[in-house]
Amino acid sequence: MNQAERTGLHRWTRHEYERLMDHGFLDEDDPVELLDGLVLVKEPQHSRHRTAVLLAARALERAFGEGWFVQTQSPIVLDDRSEPEPDVCVVRGSPRDYVDAHPTRPALVVEVAQSGLRLARGRKARAYARARIADYWIVNLIDRVLEVHRAPARPGPARRHWGYAAIETLGADATLTPLAAPSAGVRVADLLP
Amino acid sequence: MGAMVDYEIKTRRFTRAEYERLIELGVFQPGEAIELIGGELMVAEPQRAPHYTAIRKTAKALEAAFGPGWEVRTQGPIGLDDESEPEPDVAVVPGAPDDYARAHPTRPVLTVEVAESSLALDRQRKGSLYARAGLPDYWVLNLVDRVLEVYREPVADSATPFGWRYGRGEVLDTSALVTPLGAPGSSIPVARLLP
Repeated sequence: MNQAERTGLHRWTRHEYERLMDHGFLDEDDPVELLDGLVLVKEPQHSRHRTAVLLAARALERAFGEGWFVQTQSPIVLDDRSEPEPDVCVVRGSPRDYVDAHPTRPALVVEVAQSGLRLARGRKARAYARARIADYWIVNLIDRVLEVHRAPARPGPARRHWGYAAIETLGADATLTPLAAPSAGVRVADLLP
Repeated sequence: MGAMVDYEIKTRRFTRAEYERLIELGVFQPGEAIELIGGELMVAEPQRAPHYTAIRKTAKALEAAFGPGWEVRTQGPIGLDDESEPEPDVAVVPGAPDDYARAHPTRPVLTVEVAESSLALDRQRKGSLYARAGLPDYWVLNLVDRVLEVYREPVADSATPFGWRYGRGEVLDTSALVTPLGAPGSSIPVARLLP
């Protein structure tokens, strides 16, 4: 069954999605997220996945320091039809700044991917690029590498053509600098479980 | 659903009870043509004039073929199974409208989908779903090739979306006649169904 045959799926708006929560069809602990209007079931949390999430959160807290905070598996708002819950993201300010509304433009988004690698590289990358997320990292647990996606761009006219123009794959021995924390260095080895 | 594991994405599935509650609560926009197919909310193809014309012609032909004691429904919900509430373009069920005032019919004797852009969906996914429910007579009125595809005799087949398919499929052109299983004394020219 290919993607083309699934284009007939109903797309939820964020408003409808929130009504699903209000009416108890979904609750905050359900492993789902809204992406492009689809209520997606998230990748199961194996212990390796969970470990990678915690490692990335710790490394990024250290790299960004004051004036930023790191949230794990919490919602961000991209557009009317997308409210994903990235594994890790770095947001400006303090948690109290978002007491009334979810953050919309994190400085860095990280997804940890094993069985969800195609989704992370495909539909999610397109959605993050479309929302102009400047720095998007995929901790690829299969190949034990970090895939760094930068320079969101739209080569074609259609919405779906958004993507990242610069994609780099870094091995465990590499070190990289987050775009929004230019003086910091993050070792890829510190992100891998 | 062994054949469906290859998805890039997996969406939240809804049961039929949840779906009916969503409708009651008015969560969907009015006029949205949604059906529940195997737990997934599918949006029906937009109706072009030939599509709707084919539905009306088919409904009239089936009313004449089946006669009294049968109810011909157009785009009405069918309570197919715990995770499916499709709205086939035409369905023939026993009885009268009031028989379904409290609950949707569950087992049409004849189910018809009119297909243009939805041809692959109607043949494969809906075909497998209807076969799993044991619907004995499933027709796809194929507007692209101007033929009627008649599917009968559900058989198990793990390679299909819902584990079942129709064992017999026959393609009838505009010169053919078709006899519904539920109205064995009748015969309908295929040309009378097409717009």
